[in-house]
Amino acid sequence: MIEHLDKPFKDEDSLGTMNPYVREWFTRNFKELTPPQKFSFKLIRDRKSLLIAAPTGSGKTMSAFTSIISHLFDYSLAGKLEDKIYCLYISPLRALNNDIYNNLTRPLEEIYKVIKDEKGVAMIKEGVRKVTIAVRTGDTPQQERRKQLLTPPNILVTTPESLAIMLNSEKLIEKFNSLEYVIVDEIHELANNKRGVHLALSLERLADLIGHNPVRIGLGATLHPLDEAAKFLVGYDKGAPRDCIVVDASWSKELDVTAMSPVKDIISAPEAQLENALYREINSIIKKSKTALIFTNTRSGTERVVFNLKKRFKYGEGDVAAHHGSLSRQSRLDVEDMLKKGALRCVVSSTSLELGVDIGTIDNVIQLGSPKSVTRAVQRIGRAGHSYKAVAKGEMIAMNRDDLVEVSVMLDAARKRHLDAFTVPKNPLDVLSQHIVGMAISRKWNVDEAYNTVRHAYPYADLDKSDFMSLINYLAGNYVGLESRRVYGKIWYDDKTNTIGRRGKLVKVIYMLNLGTIPDEVAVNVFNGTKWVGNIEEEFLARLKQGDVFALGGRLYEFQYAKGTKCYVREATSKSPTIPPWFSEQLPLSYELANEIGEFRAGLAKRILESMKGRRAPLIRKSMKVPKKVDDYLSGLPIDANAKESMYGYFLEQILFAKEVPSNTSILVERTKDIEEGIEYLVFHSLFGRRVNDALSRVIAILLAEELDIDLSIMVNDNGFAIYSKESMGITKKIVEDVVAELGTTDIRSLLRRNIRNTEMMRRKFRHVAARSFMILKNYKGYKINVGRQQVNSQLLLKAVESIDPNFPILKETYREIFDDMMDLPRLEEVVSGIKAGRIKVKFITTKYPSPFSHNIITFGHADVIMMKGKREYLKKLHSLVLKQIAQSR
Amino acid sequence: MRLDDDIELIDGLPVAYIRSLKAIVISDPHLGYEAAQAGRGIFLPKVNLKSITEALSKALAATGAKTVIVNGDIKNDFSTVAADEFNELYDLAAFLKVKGASLAIVKGNHDNFVDRYRESMGLKIYAEQMAAGGYLLFHGDALPDAVPKGTHTLIMGHEHPAIAVYNSVGKKEKLRCFLTGSYLGARIIVFPAIGYFSTGTEMNVVPEDELLSPVLKRLDMGSMKAIAIGYGATMEFGTIAELRRAASLHM
Repeated sequence: MIEHLDKPFKDEDSLGTMNPYVREWFTRNFKELTPPQKFSFKLIRDRKSLLIAAPTGSGKTMSAFTSIISHLFDYSLAGKLEDKIYCLYISPLRALNNDIYNNLTRPLEEIYKVIKDEKGVAMIKEGVRKVTIAVRTGDTPQQERRKQLLTPPNILVTTPESLAIMLNSEKLIEKFNSLEYVIVDEIHELANNKRGVHLALSLERLADLIGHNPVRIGLGATLHPLDEAAKFLVGYDKGAPRDCIVVDASWSKELDVTAMSPVKDIISAPEAQLENALYREINSIIKKSKTALIFTNTRSGTERVVFNLKKRFKYGEGDVAAHHGSLSRQSRLDVEDMLKKGALRCVVSSTSLELGVDIGTIDNVIQLGSPKSVTRAVQRIGRAGHSYKAVAKGEMIAMNRDDLVEVSVMLDAARKRHLDAFTVPKNPLDVLSQHIVGMAISRKWNVDEAYNTVRHAYPYADLDKSDFMSLINYLAGNYVGLESRRVYGKIWYDDKTNTIGRRGKLVKVIYMLNLGTIPDEVAVNVFNGTKWVGNIEEEFLARLKQGDVFALGGRLYEFQYAKGTKCYVREATSKSPTIPPWFSEQLPLSYELANEIGEFRAGLAKRILESMKGRRAPLIRKSMKVPKKVDDYLSGLPIDANAKESMYGYFLEQILFAKEVPSNTSILVERTKDIEEGIEYLVFHSLFGRRVNDALSRVIAILLAEELDIDLSIMVNDNGFAIYSKESMGITKKIVEDVVAELGTTDIRSLLRRNIRNTEMMRRKFRHVAARSFMILKNYKGYKINVGRQQVNSQLLLKAVESIDPNFPILKETYREIFDDMMDLPRLEEVVSGIKAGRIKVKFITTKYPSPFSHNIITFGHADVIMMKGKREYLKKLHSLVLKQIAQSR
Repeated sequence: MRLDDDIELIDGLPVAYIRSLKAIVISDPHLGYEAAQAGRGIFLPKVNLKSITEALSKALAATGAKTVIVNGDIKNDFSTVAADEFNELYDLAAFLKVKGASLAIVKGNHDNFVDRYRESMGLKIYAEQMAAGGYLLFHGDALPDAVPKGTHTLIMGHEHPAIAVYNSVGKKEKLRCFLTGSYLGARIIVFPAIGYFSTGTEMNVVPEDELLSPVLKRLDMGSMKAIAIGYGATMEFGTIAELRRAASLHM
């Protein structure tokens, strides 16, 4: 059962049962217990599994370790501490592992010294030993590994992948027989992806191997829903979650954030004025801070901000620095070091400093543009104010009007503690393949027993027996003839005795060299004919659809096709890019936040309409007085005066121009024309998050293409999507209505399956799944197969697998990952049933020029939010046309 | 599709029937391909032999041919006959025996050691080339030795020809194709590979100097006609020069 505990224990209860020397050391070093510690000390002492959600800097690590260390010193003082592993600590970040090691070594030494000071030489006689700790990751040298085997540490610090390897090291696994505690840190980085699923299975296998289930302690930052994370941590037994206590101390830090617009009129302010205002604002915050942390949403944005700050305000190398994933490990470490010492005035980051590593004291966080999720906003702002008692101060600066709406609603949601939900990938068959092989290497299994062990892991709690059997058959090589199974089979399966086991000695080597869930990715070379024009990331390639136009090295190219690690393009005939270069980097707008924005839109539109009742439509001017009703509504949000005025103007324009404001209960379908090239657009203002929009846009485009019998292209963004064609579409209201009606009766999954089949996304994802399932080995018999080769081969594989069985587990998993992890088909189905039931209305309008709300949708591909030039020019033109029409219609 | 009075291209398959020889001709089956890949850690399901016997079944039923001539690369591994290759070769021979057709092999560059099974499997093996009824069949990895007098048609494989075709939005598709042209004063037909995984080289995209066969480097590729196979049909798609122009519009 999952229980929530809201009331902390009294300090004397928390410290009372602790080993006296550890208590002595603790009270000497800390003035008081932090919020998570007020729960965890006693609970861990009572050997309860628990999940602790708490912000960085709240003594989270010690909240987990103190009671364990105390317990180990009890053993030591009783002369019972042996060379065994009692506590296993797992973190997804190697950097964090070293931090933990360093942060624990000191307390262990100090506590030992407390004992030594008191006992003197008597401790030798009593056999008091030091509590030992060691790190084991992929970086650990061979010599150190051997040492760990001879004298195992009492606390072992490791990564999910190293744990999976240890599970199949017979000699090492014996050292876990007395394991009492497992700590899983950074659970928010694990629970929502395959790496975490892999770990969940490892933990169940570990429990099986050692014959008991240790106390499990999970540590996480802000995350939601906590019950899901708790189930993920402790797993299932006999069809129900094991016991776990949830301690939510994540709100112990107060947030003080405002959404702001750098200028009054974000749309018509000249480029230079906007940039000047933006950097002036940033600089004034840097000036009043000891250290400020700026988040952008892309790596290129990070570099540009650093460049501008240095250029404009003469900051030097030692004042301002960048920190993002494309920088070398060393330069990131250098920056972290400078931060810890308090040497930097300002650091600019994309996502890399969001969580994890200790970065010293930050007094202000600035977020440029929307971080796309409430959870992320809370985590980022939470980096300000080191102690858990300090108020986290921050500012979110919006760069366009949609952004402004988004960040304002986001901050409001953060105040109300409405977080976006993560989802645990359910039943991924590729991860399971690896573990079945690992299990078979350990020993023979009765198939039902193996199936039950797997279902102890939460992601597999409701795994279908038939899926499990299809994996057993696949791994046994039953898709090829008997004579080839020696090569194809990783396990043997005897259906008479219902038993599985490992096939051959080589399988262990295959398992050890190929396990893990993070796919190999490389830079893809882009060719225009035979001419090399640049590089893109594979993840970006996977997002490209035929006919997509993107910018590379200052020119526009149209995507043609890809082969291995080469991508072929041609010069674009159109002037409008359809996908921004950072698209794969940009995190998608969450479903929950999209919904809240939808509600807000409806609410604001209603107030504006009420304020207009019985009056002449107000004039749109540079500076407008916000009507009282509207002002009251907007005052509920944490925003500045500029932002209020900007938002009012934005909505008023939409109302006067289009008479419709799309919301969470109303999808607006707008037929319109692009002003530069006269391209006809059908814009769907659908606010359900980008993962839903990704799927919805494809379905609509397929249905529409069938209806019109022409090829269509799509641009997808967080607030909607646009469908267009090189040919004339001739859209009518009737056609849109027909397509919407068809949407309600179509089998969306099979329709999308056919559509996805020939995309780069399918080809890339299939390779990842095939490699995770050991159908393509990256490392085999001493050969490494490079990504290009893997990709070419996986295409042959895809074709062959389809021809033998359309439900082959590897194929099934590829579609599952695309539909449920990348896109959000379950929620799309909710939206579709909402449309069918009339809860969500679909309205059709025709506009001469794109309505204000569609401007950011159709200019989406243009450029980054912080490098605005081309896009802004275009936006301004659109805006002035809108104003002209509003003026004419008065 | 009839190529002339004597040659019938079986619709939708990389298979031809030569009436005067009562023979079906195919090229490049690459038996044992999956096993060879599995040895490198890529575990392809075994679909090659099955797809080949299905194609031959259809062709034999439609034509009543008495012989199946494999114009080179019946197997995949260069160095030896691997176990899986032997099995598949055996299965193919047994399959043809049941169908009442004999198997003749013109050796290609992958076909070393195949002679060992001449007796046991009842194979007819031609080391370099096979001449019959005015036809000269050779694999194509080397130039033909000597062209006998009276040869009107040269038949080769090796290159695995295919063409890239594009639809209106630039979506590319690859189709296997026969190529016809002239060489040494005779007609030449280049056969597509029948092997399931040998999807082919796009003749209208790949630069000429990257082609494999020395024969194709000596003739006028642009004037060769492509006869493409796909979706159950076989049809003329124009010359390589025309197809190159069509492709360049999309490049």
